[in-house]
Amino acid sequence: MDNTDVNVVYSVQHQLPLVMYIGQYFFFTGLSAGSFVISVIATLLGRKEFKPIGKITALLAPILLIIAPLNLILDLEQPLRFWHLFVFYNWTSPITYGSFLLTAYPVMGVIYAIMVYTNRQKAAKILGILGIPLAISVHGYTGFILALAKARALWNTAAMPTIFLVSAMVSGIGLVVIIAAARWKWFDKAATVEQREKDKRLIIQLAQFMAYIIMLDLFLILSDILVLLTAHSDAYQAGMLILTGNFAPLFLGVEIFLGSLVPMVLVLGPTRKSMKAIVIASILVNIGVYAMRFVMVIGGQSIPLS
Amino acid sequence: MARKRYAMVIDMRRCIGCHACTVACKAEMAVPLEVNATWLKIIEKGAYPDTRRFYLPRMCNNCTDAICARNCPTQATYKRDDGIVVVDQHRCIGCKYCIASCPYDTRFINPLKNIVQKCFFCQHRVDAGLEPACVESCPTRAMVFGDRNDNKSEISQLLASNATTVLKKEMETNPNVYYIAADETVMSNVEKGINYRTEGTITKLRL
Repeated sequence: MDNTDVNVVYSVQHQLPLVMYIGQYFFFTGLSAGSFVISVIATLLGRKEFKPIGKITALLAPILLIIAPLNLILDLEQPLRFWHLFVFYNWTSPITYGSFLLTAYPVMGVIYAIMVYTNRQKAAKILGILGIPLAISVHGYTGFILALAKARALWNTAAMPTIFLVSAMVSGIGLVVIIAAARWKWFDKAATVEQREKDKRLIIQLAQFMAYIIMLDLFLILSDILVLLTAHSDAYQAGMLILTGNFAPLFLGVEIFLGSLVPMVLVLGPTRKSMKAIVIASILVNIGVYAMRFVMVIGGQSIPLS
Repeated sequence: MARKRYAMVIDMRRCIGCHACTVACKAEMAVPLEVNATWLKIIEKGAYPDTRRFYLPRMCNNCTDAICARNCPTQATYKRDDGIVVVDQHRCIGCKYCIASCPYDTRFINPLKNIVQKCFFCQHRVDAGLEPACVESCPTRAMVFGDRNDNKSEISQLLASNATTVLKKEMETNPNVYYIAADETVMSNVEKGINYRTEGTITKLRL
């Protein structure tokens, strides 16, 4: 029977459970994980010109990860009961993994930052290698939070943790580029012309690395949507919601066009040597990733279940 | 004595859409305005003159493999031995992950208590040997509640002698609310567009 002959005469409205606090939390952990990975790469390569970036990012990672869980606690209906998470844990719930990861990771990040700032290279390297799996799981588990909420067709996909990790890398590098460029413009005046040229080249390289990861991100989103459109009916509805429905302007316009395609052209196209273009691209990338969190969290819950 | 397994059967041939179950639930469970633990969905099918109205009473399915209980980070939601899924209101922190993962939209935040609540087959009445409030209020006996594991109970005889179905079988949750004579289009999600209150979507300070 065709569904056009079916009319819902009466039904009740439901609450939208997860609001944008959760999306913001995903955004901040993403920034933190991305900048931590960049910092460790810089430390491991150990070259002198990478040092400033390694230091900035080592400081950014724990700061961002102290802001992030605040969003979570504000989102709770009973914020003063947050300690229940540690006392009454449930190992089948991804939130339980998260509550322990979110405790271990900032501690790790702070110790790592101290090692980097006090120039203890060997300790920083070891901590960095140990910290990368932790950083990946801190952000990867947020993908599992969505993927294991089985009811929502837009979330319930195995690609979700990977999509989250890759978009975290993109936004994390974007933030590092913005901060490194600001340092280059205003706080790097004492350096020699040669040194400034070196720093600039490094920022450009970082931006190009970001553009390649955007390509990977676009591929993952494409494969996710292709599978959504050919899977069961709820998944098809979810795919159409972000392609042609209420969330299409945000998804296609902001996330894909402004947040991915435009930055890619700015960074790899004829403006690839321009510092201004790179900074604009990095800002756009972060707006795009924020829009992605919004589309995922709010859009995923917008498909009626009953 | 064998372990109990409580279940409910709703006969949609008998339901007249009177909303008595909704009202009884509101009164018994003190459910505040704007939220519902039990509600009725009314659906019209076909075009004039060949049309019919279907009434679908909805409540928590108290699933055997409940996604909410699996995903609750504090074990505030848990299954009792008799199969009823309950929320410990002193332990719930209100993370709302269970609401997001429930395929049936049956959970809600109680705006007065700031915790998650839902239908739990009126466990206090069941423990006292009574039937849930909705079942007792139903004027046409369209709802039947009882122990599935007891062969002599009305519910196991109904389940044995009727074609029954459950909501969203593909979710593999094994619901304990069964429907007799439920139409496929009525059970499936036919709603188009957004069926949520959208105010306070971005941020809402609830301290």
